[in-house]
Amino acid sequence: MVRSPIPPWLMIVLSIGGLVVALGVYGILSARQTAINETQSVLPGIKGMGEGFTKIRAPQGTESNPKPSWLWQDTKASVTRLFAGTAIGVVASIVIGILMGSYRWIEAPLAPIISFMAKIPPTAMLPLYMIAFGTSTNLFIAMVALGIFFSMAQSVFQATRQDVTQEAIQKAYTLGASDMEIIFEIIWPQIMPRILENIRLQIGPAMVFLIAAEVLFADVGFGYRIRMESRLLRMNTVYWYLALLGGFGLLLDWLMLKLRQYLAPWFQG
Amino acid sequence: MDSLVIENVSHWYGETRVLNDINLRIEAGQIVAVVGPSGCGKSTLLKAILGTHPTNEGTIKADGIPVTGPSRHVGMVYQHYSLYDFLTAEDNVALGLKLDETSLPYRWFAWPAWHKKRKEHLERAREYLRRVNLQDAAKRYPSGLSGGMRQRVAIAQAMILKPKILLLDEPFGALDEATREDLQIMLLQFYQENLRAKAEGRVPEYTMLFVTHELNEALYVADRVIGLSRFHSDGHLGATVVYDRPCPIFKPEDPRDFSRLLEQKEELRNAVFDPDYIKHHSEYVSFWDEIALEAANLKAN
Ligand SMILES: Nc1ncnc2c1ncn2[C@@H]1O[C@H](COP(=O)(O)OP(=O)(O)OP(=O)(O)O)[C@@H](O)[C@H]1O
Ligand SMILES: [Mg+2]
Repeated sequence: MVRSPIPPWLMIVLSIGGLVVALGVYGILSARQTAINETQSVLPGIKGMGEGFTKIRAPQGTESNPKPSWLWQDTKASVTRLFAGTAIGVVASIVIGILMGSYRWIEAPLAPIISFMAKIPPTAMLPLYMIAFGTSTNLFIAMVALGIFFSMAQSVFQATRQDVTQEAIQKAYTLGASDMEIIFEIIWPQIMPRILENIRLQIGPAMVFLIAAEVLFADVGFGYRIRMESRLLRMNTVYWYLALLGGFGLLLDWLMLKLRQYLAPWFQG
Repeated sequence: MDSLVIENVSHWYGETRVLNDINLRIEAGQIVAVVGPSGCGKSTLLKAILGTHPTNEGTIKADGIPVTGPSRHVGMVYQHYSLYDFLTAEDNVALGLKLDETSLPYRWFAWPAWHKKRKEHLERAREYLRRVNLQDAAKRYPSGLSGGMRQRVAIAQAMILKPKILLLDEPFGALDEATREDLQIMLLQFYQENLRAKAEGRVPEYTMLFVTHELNEALYVADRVIGLSRFHSDGHLGATVVYDRPCPIFKPEDPRDFSRLLEQKEELRNAVFDPDYIKHHSEYVSFWDEIALEAANLKAN
């Protein structure tokens, strides 16, 4: 029957089973490919993946001028860009969204521009950002920040309007609130979990924007490495990078969820 | 002492005049019920007193101060949306103290002092929760409270600032019968508090104006009933006060004997709710005359 529950042990067995089957199918495909071509690197086996792992962790540079491993260089570059971009985009959209939801005279000039910009696929704006920021770190930060800013400013604005009822605001005035207190003591705590939920949902798009920009313009970072390595069909390193991206995304998602549960135990979605 | 004075207030939405020439005076310690046909403008009147819908004509004064917008002098309890989801019951009640007695910069920059004050606020909040019999639910969020408990918290939240008048718009309208009765009895207890205060020469703390569509509730809880309606000789101009009389006073422990109310209920139905019974609007507006008469009789004896 639809939605009928299954026992927990079956749930666990099935989730592990899914993973095993997926890996099994990959193993078979990989073995067949190796049978055709001894030196294939498109579907590397366990040995190939092991080599890939060693490679991404190997120190780079020369004896006189040592550099950290690819993994370290790329993680540092990409994570810095992702966090800086997300932080700027999130903070800006929270400030603008709340102000728009609180004051009509701020909403009036900004709302049309923001709704328009939110409709342009952010990656299509890349060339523009390239002209504005060159290919420095700022380009990637700007791509991520502006990529999430417009749609997130819209959702913060919506939340400010819809999650905070007129009654809630009037009530606060009868309790002696000032305008600033309405914003900081009523609107902010009410929409904060909704914003955390939004940030969680924006992590995916933020990574898309970052990788897209890095594939095109970077000389270090996850997107750059994936492009360089797949050009040479060295998929054993590419797969490690993809797996790391997936794991990183899951981890951030989980952290945001926990943060929301910790900060807003009352929130019910 | 007058808590609320309404003089010649009219209100219209666009072209349609809803309220016409309302005059009303409410004294500290009165618990006043407002009844009237659906859509006659009861909520509009409350919003005008609250100050969210400024009146087009006339003046409203709370404790002698003209109402220009929502302020701490006029409290409000809505039927829904009464509490802040993100605050526990005690935090909801303490919110008024926090907003009224401290400021944002104080809370941000003088936090040791704020921390101390906060403790005292929560103490007072719990005292108000005790008054509405909810001391055990202090740490719970609104989502974990029943509808009746939420309204109790909402009343405590509004009362803690000691507003000159507390407005309640169908406060128990969404509650089941038993819960409703409990809350009615709570209001009767507040009224007894008022009587005690008056007897001791203090200013009574609970002055309330509540809208209800239940005539029994109006007559049982209130000491004064006001009827709002447009069924009077110049009703085409809008609704006005067509009924204003004292009503029986119940003690919390009295039996809920509504047969005492039958006669006045009939009078109310006639004067406020019957579209075919057109009279001059002041025919049943006699509250202050009756009070004066009673005082005179008391003196004579
Ligand atoms: N914002 C508004 N704009 C236009 N008309 C309104 C507005 N609010 C209320 N009205 C109209 O004003 C009249 C009075 O409304 P109000 O809500 O005050 O009535 P009420 O007595 O509280 O009714 P109810 O018993 O249904 O709660 C109604 O006819 C209503 O349609
Ligand atoms: Mg109403």
